[in-house]
Amino acid sequence: MSGSRLTMGEVEPLAATCQTEIEVKHGVGLHARPSVTFTRLAKSFPCSIEVAVNGSDIWLNGKSIIKIMGARIRKGSILRIRADGILAEEAIRALKELIERNFDEDKKHGRTT
Amino acid sequence: MKTRSMAEPRKLRATGASPGIATGPVYLADRPALVSVPVAPGTSGPGTLAEAVETAISALQDLADRVDGDSRDIIDFQIEVLRDPTIAEMTEERVSAGEHTVFAWVAAIDTHVAELEGADEEEVRARAVDILDMKNRVLGILSGTPVEDFPAGSIFVGKDIEPSRFLGHDWSAGGGIVLFGGSAAGHVALLARAKSIPMVIGCGRFDVATDSQVRIDGDAGMVFLDAQAEGLSPVPARVPPHTDAAAIDHGSLQTSDGVSIQLSINVNDPLEIDGIDAATAAGIGLMRSEFAVRSLADAANEDKQFHIYRRALEWAGGKPVTIRMLDIGGDKPLAGLDDDSGAMGMRGIRLLLARPEIARLQARALLRAALFGKLRVLLPMVTFPSEIDNMRQIFAEEAALLLRRKIAHRLPQIGMMVEVPAAALMLDTFENAEFFSFGTNDLAQYLAASARDGSDIRAYRDKAAPAVLRLITQAMTLTAGKPVSICGDMAGNPSFLPALLAAGLRHFSVAPAQRPAIGSALVGLNADGTRAAGD
Repeated sequence: MSGSRLTMGEVEPLAATCQTEIEVKHGVGLHARPSVTFTRLAKSFPCSIEVAVNGSDIWLNGKSIIKIMGARIRKGSILRIRADGILAEEAIRALKELIERNFDEDKKHGRTT
Repeated sequence: MKTRSMAEPRKLRATGASPGIATGPVYLADRPALVSVPVAPGTSGPGTLAEAVETAISALQDLADRVDGDSRDIIDFQIEVLRDPTIAEMTEERVSAGEHTVFAWVAAIDTHVAELEGADEEEVRARAVDILDMKNRVLGILSGTPVEDFPAGSIFVGKDIEPSRFLGHDWSAGGGIVLFGGSAAGHVALLARAKSIPMVIGCGRFDVATDSQVRIDGDAGMVFLDAQAEGLSPVPARVPPHTDAAAIDHGSLQTSDGVSIQLSINVNDPLEIDGIDAATAAGIGLMRSEFAVRSLADAANEDKQFHIYRRALEWAGGKPVTIRMLDIGGDKPLAGLDDDSGAMGMRGIRLLLARPEIARLQARALLRAALFGKLRVLLPMVTFPSEIDNMRQIFAEEAALLLRRKIAHRLPQIGMMVEVPAAALMLDTFENAEFFSFGTNDLAQYLAASARDGSDIRAYRDKAAPAVLRLITQAMTLTAGKPVSICGDMAGNPSFLPALLAAGLRHFSVAPAQRPAIGSALVGLNADGTRAAGD
């Protein structure tokens, strides 16, 4: 870091705001186990991650198991996920993929869909 | 006593705080008292709660590695809750609003538990149980730091001894206590008398080698150093418990002229009741909850408190159990709570109302326990009726909270300690108290302006006994017929019984070890305090 000063332009590719929308297809909604998988993945990113359910304008901390479980997310719920800060794009992509993979529930329990 | 042998034994004249004779090797406690309390003083800061949380997480992770399936899911969930940023934020908010860290954390957790308990889905409601289990695990870690114990059978010699250390020690092999300072009205002295552990106090600092033999005489208030050199024969360390053939049916007895008297017991260590037959007492006249709640983590542990109270109520089998709410502060600090308090400062109900998070949690535990017997809740250090109103409000609010959470409970009777002179003088204004209990140790210290933890001014308190008796006699006329008892040291001293009977007291509560002696003294007296003819 010595010498050269970072400009805003150089930081921007990393720190960004990013948002996506996805439908939950998981049969048991977002209960304890999938919630844990979700918040653990969210916590692995430095950016802030927030979730809003079914068009609500209340944004919940996506790294908080208490908040995510309390959101009563069910099969068919529409999740909006937004991230702000470092690795925001990567975070959104990873979380979206997790939901698309049904939170790895099938893999975890050796079941086939 | 034997004649002198070659070596001149050193004798120290001091004050007996608990009767009996004990001989044993010296355990010299030269470490500062604070080092060995169960919860380090720094617990009031956020650091140590965080440490307990980390300890819990790594223990859970170890456990998670050894299990699979549903068990693992539960543990993973618990770890995730421990790392929840929302709980951390709520805790911080409450701490900035003045709450203690541990209670702030407990409150943050409980808020979410209440939300989960209200969920429609069974699976979500079940998670509340996991969170409560996790909370208790952390509180267990916070309070579980082992107290440094000393060898069984030895004589503890030191400046002071903490109640937690006394309670944590195994006294079954005998032994005793010698304190350089200390007070006979101090809480360890109370405990020592209750457990018949010989104790001598106020002998000043003296040099003695660890493991050298010492003999203490708690009746005479003497300490004999180098007891072996003098050839003193060892005596059984434990005073054999009194056996009273006198039929005391459930603590209900009669004076010589046929007036009914109730005799209950005072309980400190909740384990104490295990060795006592409930049929020998009219119930528990005073359970000092600060001995059941020995640390801040215990105070934050609703379930632990509930189980202790419930056990006492079940032991009593329908007879009244009077549990005094935490009387912390003054000479009874709660480890980890660094509120500044002196004997005349923020203690008893004052501290409970200033720290409602402590009071609310204890109120919930008591409300739940009340279902298991006849519970009477005693408020310590009450000065004004408004304090009882405020505590009743807390009980009402917590009862409403339990109702919302569908947790069974019952409102217990609420009464007050009469131990502040201003309250004793104005007892008729306490319409909101359902019963009264005289605490003579505090009444004496406040009336004689001599702190109970000062051994050098003990004589002032002793000489104030007539003033205490006069105040009690006067207060007895102001009780409006409500139940009254006396639970202080004065009730356990046979020489005061005539005056207390004459004042109208009919319910006495004493340490279990004193019960037989007080019982037989009472039946030898008339209700007006005069000695029975022909006795």
